[in-house]
Amino acid sequence: MHSTTHLAVTVFGAIGLFILAYYLVVNSYYLCLHILALFELRDDVREANWDEPFRRFASPFYPGIALVVPAYNEAATIEESVQSMLSLNYPELEVVVVNDGSTDATLKKLIERFELEEIEAEVPFEVPSEAIHGTYRSTRYEELLVVDKVNGGKSDALNAGIWLTEMSLFCAVDSDTLIDRDALLQIVKPFLKRPGTTVATGGVIRVANECSVRDGLVKDVNLPKTGLPGLQVMEYLRAFYSGRLGLNRLNGLILISGAFGLFRTDVVREIGGYRHDTITEDFDIIVRLHRYLTDEDREYTVDFVPEPVAWTEVPSSRRVLGRQRRRWFRGMVETVVTNRGMLFNPSYGRVGTVIFPFFVAAEMFGPLIEGLGYIILPLAWYFGVLSIEFFIVFFLLTTGFGIFLSWFGVFSEVWSFNRYEDPRQIGRLLWYGVLENFGYRQWKTIVAWQGLLEYFRGVDSWGVMERGGFSVENHEDN
Amino acid sequence: MQGAVAVGEYSVPISVILSVLGLLVGIGLVVSLALTMGLSSYRYLKATQRSQVRSDVQNELLSRAFAPEPKWDEWVPTLSKTEQSVATELLAEYLRELDGSEADSLKQLGVALGIPDEARADLERGHTFVRLQALTWLIRLDDPDPYYAASYEPTTQAERAAVARLLFQTGQLDTPAAGVELLLDGATTEFSVFGQDTLYRLAREAPDAMFALAANRYEAWSDALLAQVLLVHGQLGTGIRTADVSWLTSNLEGDDEGVRAAAASALGSFGWRPELRDSRFLSRATADSSPRVRGAVYEMLGSWGDQEAVTILLYALVSEEDPRALVRGTNALVQRQDQIGRSGPAILGAAWEWSSEHASYDSVARGHTGATQG
Repeated sequence: MHSTTHLAVTVFGAIGLFILAYYLVVNSYYLCLHILALFELRDDVREANWDEPFRRFASPFYPGIALVVPAYNEAATIEESVQSMLSLNYPELEVVVVNDGSTDATLKKLIERFELEEIEAEVPFEVPSEAIHGTYRSTRYEELLVVDKVNGGKSDALNAGIWLTEMSLFCAVDSDTLIDRDALLQIVKPFLKRPGTTVATGGVIRVANECSVRDGLVKDVNLPKTGLPGLQVMEYLRAFYSGRLGLNRLNGLILISGAFGLFRTDVVREIGGYRHDTITEDFDIIVRLHRYLTDEDREYTVDFVPEPVAWTEVPSSRRVLGRQRRRWFRGMVETVVTNRGMLFNPSYGRVGTVIFPFFVAAEMFGPLIEGLGYIILPLAWYFGVLSIEFFIVFFLLTTGFGIFLSWFGVFSEVWSFNRYEDPRQIGRLLWYGVLENFGYRQWKTIVAWQGLLEYFRGVDSWGVMERGGFSVENHEDN
Repeated sequence: MQGAVAVGEYSVPISVILSVLGLLVGIGLVVSLALTMGLSSYRYLKATQRSQVRSDVQNELLSRAFAPEPKWDEWVPTLSKTEQSVATELLAEYLRELDGSEADSLKQLGVALGIPDEARADLERGHTFVRLQALTWLIRLDDPDPYYAASYEPTTQAERAAVARLLFQTGQLDTPAAGVELLLDGATTEFSVFGQDTLYRLAREAPDAMFALAANRYEAWSDALLAQVLLVHGQLGTGIRTADVSWLTSNLEGDDEGVRAAAASALGSFGWRPELRDSRFLSRATADSSPRVRGAVYEMLGSWGDQEAVTILLYALVSEEDPRALVRGTNALVQRQDQIGRSGPAILGAAWEWSSEHASYDSVARGHTGATQG
């Protein structure tokens, strides 16, 4: 018995020390990122205030953008989504809708609403996607192209769109994403500033639940009143205003949200487009771009722009959110494993030596280690190794620091673009920053472990994303 | 909590370390809470004040803008700081859209609001984006005096472009060529799109000067900058009549793919030059190793558009193996389809059908848009 206790003390002591050191390193990393994010945000706000004195719509040098919109069984919303995309404010725009083998009336609705006619000619080049049944042009909208193909998943649909457009840039968007009318003018800015070296830019994704929507645009910004979407608003703010801005300051952005990102078409074609065998294609494509362009010894930047905004509806039930997060986690593991050669590899510069390793330590191992801690703590207490006083102080310290980082994100929002104008909404956001530490955070560690197990089991399904729909204002023309 | 951490000769109890950490986190939380809520309340108050006065300021501003005597000097002193700020915001919005006499009247409002003085101060003390915004205001107000009065020299490509645009727009340049010179003086790396557009606006007024300057200096430029200047030439049309184009043709045979493609674009408006009609030169151009460059050469031949150029294009496309370059070529050829025989389309197969159908849908949709707008 004595030796068992001694062994337990040794093992738990070692684990405890490891967890302490881990927390110290990861939280220092987060703090540095948040501070860097503030500097980056200050510069971005200054730049956003500069109104370039030329008429964009008269300039022949604005790069053309194709909005590539994969659509699978979106009959209920596709007409409004496409109509709102066609009315976005941008000088040279093409909307490429890829009907990815929908089994509902998605294509029929598009044909009727936009007066589409099928192109008789075959596509005269190879497209790395499932077979294309047909391509359609509108007799009303010159800038609309619809592609109808065999179902192959989101990556496959994106590839079809990327190969069929002639625009020099493409913007990957989800068909249910709402884009601010001027968002393309904002997200393209790094390409205007450094036309030769910018290869990708990402904007901010915000939560649209309970915002009011009219003509496909978010009109009134409201913070969700229910807990789960509200907690996700907090998470999104922290991720975008702290994480991505901080990484951008280091020129090490390794993730652009799949719901709204802008890319150089030719460079993405060079790397073969999106991979079909991944479920987090947005993470994978950025990591591969870094890898390819570094291997090719080309000068490049991947940028985050905090002003352009796209809105998405987040899951409001724990079941659907769990399914989404498990998919995100196993996709992240898969991308990290695939690109493990970049880890600690100095030939990939800052991304290989600092950013990717810290990302893996914090985002991949973080929730797993935390989850493990919740199992070890009662065991340590059982063996008399755990000092309850120490545990309480440690918990309060880490929780307090977590809340501080979340509030940092809210402060950045208020200081910069301040979309939630009412201070009562900000107060509620701050409260969500506290609330997420009690129950939600612990639940996410369970989801992470489930995601890891799914990865080992080879699960590769997307799962069905159930949405309640936007709060649509009916607009009556007088 | 027992235990201590040794630091040199001293030992610090863990409880003390944890207490200090707890105190720091606690202070951080209190400060961030106070800052966030304080700032949010302040911005909310300001936004409310602005929205309350916006409608009145807008109505008064518009009625004065269209009046024969706006009397801005009398109106502005009666406005509160918030109202002046709203008036400034509205002024920026209207000057972006308006031209002519309404714009001239509004520019006087800018003077009454003290914007030129503020711009001068910003030029001397501001961050680069503050300086750029000051230059933007001076361009909007057509007022170069604060720029001359300030002790300021542009330090970035964007600032140089803004200064060139200000001086050009306000007629301060002796010749448009001086603006091109100002913009390209010392430039070695690529412009932003704003800079490139500014170069284009200046070069439209002095295409020959721009051409001569580029011919003399292009070897000192980076490939990216050279490609941008070549693309500007591609947009200038047929304004250049007398110059020697050998520097363009040599760039079409250079090392960088982007430069070669841009050179083809620049040569699009020089099809009448006999030296470009040399069959060996055109054979080399249509046989470039890069599909991107070949595509640009096909577009160049399409824009020349005479029978000889179209025939060369058709022959080149028959042996084209890259499907994307082929489609660029058929897109160019479709614009000249009245000049090719019946056999042309059959030889080019699916690429021709594809380009042809897309061109007709472009035309149908444009016709529909035109009819709707008409």
